Amino acid sequence: MVIEKIKKYLTSQVSIAPLVIFRIAFGILMSASIIRFIYMGWVEKMYILPKVYFPFFGFEWIKPLPALGMYIVFGLLLITALFILIGFLYRISTISFFLLFTYVELIDKTNYLNHYYFISLISLILIFLPAGKAFSLDNKVFKRNDIKSTYRYFIFLPQLQMFTLYFFAGVAKINYDWLIEAQPLKIWLPAYSHFPFIGSLLEKTWIAYFFCWFGCIYDLCIGFLLFNKRTVYFAYFLVIVFHMATSLLFNIGMFPYIMMTITIIFFKEKFHIAILNFLEKITNYSTTNRIEKNNSLHPIIKYAFIVFFVVQFLMPFRYALYDGKLFWTEQGYRFSWRVMLMEKAGTAFFFVEDKKSGKRIEIDNKDYLTYMQEKMVSTQPDMMIDYAKFLKEEYNKKGLSDIQVKVQSYVTLNGSGTREFIDPTVDLSLETNNIFKNKNWIRSY
Amino acid sequence: MNTKFFRQLTVLTLLGLLCFTVSCRDKKKNNEPEEPEDAFDKSGMLINYADNIILPAYQSFSISLDSLNQAYSVFKNNPDLPNLHALKSKFVVAYTKYQRCDLFELGPAENTGIRGNFNIFPTDTQQIKTNISTGIYDFSAISNLDAKGFPALDYLFYGKQETVIVASFTNTNTKQYVTDLLNEMTGKCNTVITGWNSSYRNSFINSLGTDIGSSIGLLINQLNYNLDYLKNAKIGIPLGKKSLGIAYPDKCEAFYSSSYSLKYAIETLDLIERVYNGKSLNGSNNKGFDDYLIHLKVQHTSGTLNDAIQTQFSLARTKLMAIAEPLSTQMTTNPTVVDAAYAELVKLLVLLKADLPSSLGVVITYQDGDGD
Repeated sequence: MVIEKIKKYLTSQVSIAPLVIFRIAFGILMSASIIRFIYMGWVEKMYILPKVYFPFFGFEWIKPLPALGMYIVFGLLLITALFILIGFLYRISTISFFLLFTYVELIDKTNYLNHYYFISLISLILIFLPAGKAFSLDNKVFKRNDIKSTYRYFIFLPQLQMFTLYFFAGVAKINYDWLIEAQPLKIWLPAYSHFPFIGSLLEKTWIAYFFCWFGCIYDLCIGFLLFNKRTVYFAYFLVIVFHMATSLLFNIGMFPYIMMTITIIFFKEKFHIAILNFLEKITNYSTTNRIEKNNSLHPIIKYAFIVFFVVQFLMPFRYALYDGKLFWTEQGYRFSWRVMLMEKAGTAFFFVEDKKSGKRIEIDNKDYLTYMQEKMVSTQPDMMIDYAKFLKEEYNKKGLSDIQVKVQSYVTLNGSGTREFIDPTVDLSLETNNIFKNKNWIRSY
Repeated sequence: MNTKFFRQLTVLTLLGLLCFTVSCRDKKKNNEPEEPEDAFDKSGMLINYADNIILPAYQSFSISLDSLNQAYSVFKNNPDLPNLHALKSKFVVAYTKYQRCDLFELGPAENTGIRGNFNIFPTDTQQIKTNISTGIYDFSAISNLDAKGFPALDYLFYGKQETVIVASFTNTNTKQYVTDLLNEMTGKCNTVITGWNSSYRNSFINSLGTDIGSSIGLLINQLNYNLDYLKNAKIGIPLGKKSLGIAYPDKCEAFYSSSYSLKYAIETLDLIERVYNGKSLNGSNNKGFDDYLIHLKVQHTSGTLNDAIQTQFSLARTKLMAIAEPLSTQMTTNPTVVDAAYAELVKLLVLLKADLPSSLGVVITYQDGDGD
């Protein structure tokens, strides 16, 4: 019965306008993001200058290209984003954007951000949407007719992806540190005590609690409020308030603006049709006749999408399969929409040790790691392994054969104060990053 | 704007109030003391750093450089032993004063590249000899970074027997080389002071955030850089920390005037401690990072973070003081004593590099953080 209802809802016919507006918004935001990324000099900083990279488990074969190659990749990303915007070679452009963007994100764990992961997923979904079937250069160039309506599920897919991000970000906030200790906001908010008007308020404990609880409730509810036609505009008001606040307080780049823009896909049809009509008018885009043509998704792809979301729903809970405190060990931490959840910092001193004599070389991390890499390696065990293996290789090249790599490391988590993080007697170069194995050499929290 | 909207607004407000009461209840439960009404005066802290600590350090360094210049011109015109002794004493004063502003590599000092131009050691004696004998050298070249600054002067004033040194300054090229060295240093030092006086002071005291380019962020980064430098360059590397325990005494700072190496190391520690405490050289103690931590009631594993840091400073100082002079010979004759000091510096580094920025919410990178 319920299944029938859902089926009926998903296969109902709706205007294609929301998808077109979504495509345009995505294209604009991605072009801006890529330009910003290049302008900030991050291509060089993240993908050209580093001497060592930290690939993801199962993607160790992903390597950065030489400098020119990386710039070409980013150039192509910009071009494909613009093509998506104008709806040119839509299928090729979306596939290329997805592959290139994901490739870049897989090069180095250092740069992992949930919002990059989100962009990867959205661009993957975009490949299968008929978002280029109306108000597009493709239709002009290839003399195709604009499509007027499409299946509801095409709009539902990106909506569900956004819902997933919010909802699981909310689920992730249901933890002791966040709700009971108001951490890390208790640390982060006072840093803004110099703000006019609200500054002194930000040092108050109750404000940290208020933000934490509000953030948690917001994340859990906002998806539902957006889906509900009666509350969508109120929800959007909350989206604006929430993301403006986070963009003021945290160093999170484009993400708030991306979210504020693309959530309009939840708006009523009328809104999108009005915008589309306006755009068609100012661009002199005339369609001789619009057709009611439905391309449905291949059944296999439909099932694949079901699997795609089921996996996403399970990912945040995989940490339960590992020992130890999640925030401390970070086993199963990524790909779960855990955003702005902890203030973690550490110091790690690595040693290359001659097995026979026990004599050591202390590594100056600055010699091998970028600033950002050092910060990440200092608190993330899986990156420590990669680094240890890299150091072993480096020193093998220098003619030291019988060596092991150890670390003396201290980490503070949400203001806990630094404690020993890793067993300093373990040879990290022999450990594995296999995600199916527990990292039992991490000190318990 | 319908009634629905208002109903939702009410619900949200109620939720907010609920959180508020929950948090207040929570506060009582933990018996937290009432919080002070005012936010921490970051502006006052930065003004203290700028006016009572940083600028005076450079001014005092500048004065010592002038005296060094004067002593050198006397010696240059009349190279003899008494003049050399006078010159050496001025050199030690200037090098000491340099240690007291070495940490402030931000703003104009960063643009001028004070550290890289003033104190790269061990100095490249071969390069210095070549430069002097050919008389052709460009101090802005990277190849000359370790052939100038204090380490080069240290070698030229102390590197041989005094009579030999005096004799070497009859050579025009040697005279000119040192003149050029000192001119470069004086020029760069003046650039920094001018930079602070003209506009940098204002931008420094008005940058109140904790993000990457903020004054607090820069200061904490430099504090750690300096401590790292003390730990590695001044102690660790000569001790053999990077060379399987094989000591390299000649990699000590001020290797040729060897009885000062340890003094300079202690000066560096003192400076880091003064900066942490917001203390000026004349002993007046105003707002600093210590007060900031106290204000925020930052805890550590046992007791407050500020207490842990203060304790660690005094431990590190005690262990450094325990080393006999000259430091370079201790590297081989008494490595365990040096190593004990090294171990305390490591602990101090952990507190200042991880705990301090983490508890102040200092961002250490330009990259975007994880969005929400």
